[in-house]
Amino acid sequence: MNELFAAIYENTWFGIYDTNFSLIFATLYDNASYTKLGLSFLLIPLICWLLFYYFWKYPYGKIWHWLAWLFITVVLVSSISFGIANSEIFASNNQALNDAIADSSTGYQGYADSLPFKYALFNGSAALLIGIIYSLLMKQFSKIQMHLPF
Amino acid sequence: MAKKLYIFGIGGTGSRVLKALTMLFASGARLENGFEIVIPIIIDPDTSNGDLNRTKDILRLYQEIRNQVDQPNDFFSQEIKTINELTNNSPVVNPDYFQFKLKDVDQNTFNQYIGFDSLSEDFTHSMDDKNFVRLLYSEKNLRSNLDIGFKGNPNMGSIVLNQFTNSDDFIKFGQTFNDGDAIFIINSIFGGTGAAGFPLLLKNLRGNTNLPRYAKISIAPIGGITYLPYFSLNKQDEINAESFEEKAKIAIDYYNRTIISQNKINTLYFIGNRGNTNHEEYAVGGQEQKNKAHFLELAGALSIFDFCKSFNVNSQTTQVKEFGIEKITENISFGDLNIENAKQLSSPLTKFKLYTEYLNKGLPKALNIARWTKSNIKLVTGSKQSLLDKNYFNSAEYKTQILAFNNYFDEWLKEMKENKPSFCPFEEIGADNALELVKGQIPNGNKSFKSIDIENCLLTDNISIRSKEKKHTTLIKMFGKSTQEVLSKRKLLIR
Repeated sequence: MNELFAAIYENTWFGIYDTNFSLIFATLYDNASYTKLGLSFLLIPLICWLLFYYFWKYPYGKIWHWLAWLFITVVLVSSISFGIANSEIFASNNQALNDAIADSSTGYQGYADSLPFKYALFNGSAALLIGIIYSLLMKQFSKIQMHLPF
Repeated sequence: MAKKLYIFGIGGTGSRVLKALTMLFASGARLENGFEIVIPIIIDPDTSNGDLNRTKDILRLYQEIRNQVDQPNDFFSQEIKTINELTNNSPVVNPDYFQFKLKDVDQNTFNQYIGFDSLSEDFTHSMDDKNFVRLLYSEKNLRSNLDIGFKGNPNMGSIVLNQFTNSDDFIKFGQTFNDGDAIFIINSIFGGTGAAGFPLLLKNLRGNTNLPRYAKISIAPIGGITYLPYFSLNKQDEINAESFEEKAKIAIDYYNRTIISQNKINTLYFIGNRGNTNHEEYAVGGQEQKNKAHFLELAGALSIFDFCKSFNVNSQTTQVKEFGIEKITENISFGDLNIENAKQLSSPLTKFKLYTEYLNKGLPKALNIARWTKSNIKLVTGSKQSLLDKNYFNSAEYKTQILAFNNYFDEWLKEMKENKPSFCPFEEIGADNALELVKGQIPNGNKSFKSIDIENCLLTDNISIRSKEKKHTTLIKMFGKSTQEVLSKRKLLIR
């Protein structure tokens, strides 16, 4: 699973992966951090939309409820992703990485600082997309919120 | 073959008890012992009587709604038909067929009807003479118009009503009577039409050999309910309410000698309210006679359920039963009834009340918002779309049938509440405290209509409540189930 998520996160098309800072990505890969990040955008929306479609017993749901739920899901995934990335990068056991970050001349510090935001943004976007997909699938079997989002 | 119960409602009281019975049927109450079809037959010469016409309209709406429900199993489950529908196998709803026609009562005065003017004044040379008739009928009686009934004079009623047994309607009744069918008669003992009609009808049912299928009818189970005085009038004129009790005593004595002692009837129910303080607006008949619904009419309707459940065809003696309540009170609610009656009434009436209140006060919030009211949900198959969308609730059928019937139901409950003794098992509710509708019971949790909407959403794609052909199927079946579910979960029904 780590391989799969690594392939996504290290895809240069998304603009996160940078070969100049491979120490960070090697650490993330070795610590299975990609799995944690990947599962966060897969599982958190899954749980959120399960709650929305199958446990939320509110029959007067409107489109703005759905949008609000989507927003909450994205914010939640982004926040958790930020936290995961932050701790995986700045609290890692990789001494070489820690040294590189501590050495301001390497440029690691600035790049590492920007990464949790990037992962949060990426995962938030993924949560948005996957949330819509989950939503369209789950509404088919929902009894109360079948009419949402449309 | 489905067993039938023929119910003869005689006079104004007959009409009002039939109305109460129809409300119970609409609420989901059913007769036991396999009585699948009920045939109400109203006998009333007063064709413009307000009570009669209201009952006929309620019966019409009941049939129109039921005809648009596929295999009803809760609300509107008891089948109601007219004799005409039975004989012609016709689905056409015509409430006029609920009433047996009496000939020559529309324009005639009583003296014209009996041919009084053609009689001689000379008693010495004539076989029939006016003077003999004058012994039996006052001048007022003789001048009375028959199209507004007998104004509390059973001596007139017994003459006029004697003809209906020769009518086409009565013959059709005989032709449709089968093994297993039963008959029930509703009358009041203190008026004119009912007091006269009951013994006459019974005599013909048991002894008129010209009646088609006489052999079956003469031994058929027959029950009856006789109303003793239970209301008074706010004015004394042609009809004098002070005579009600005296007339009742005389009639009971007559019934005792000719009906009960001779075991002409299987079960005879008596119901009344002595010392009643309920005064109706004075009206001799016609459109003005529109008495407020009374709890005793509802209680009388219960006797029909009791009769169907408990009559014994092998019993040779007449059983006499009376109705009573557990607690003497001027404000009757379910808890004041004996437990069996409370069980009989609580569930259907509470469910139907919640349903009518929902459509009045809860629907606006849910319409075109809650899933159960939406038929245009994208990316979802047709079987999951609701059949109860905005178009349905705007349809003529919904407005002129469902809402019209519900208005009658609410009016009926309101009238019983305003009457004395008052039958008031329900509280006034709003959309936010809907589940506080049963007097004295406050459920825990959310009290709004939300739980009804939730249950409706859960039921929307339930195949057993869906029918595109019969328009009211989904509404009637859905609310039958959802109200049951909600009220049971909140323990608001007496079981």
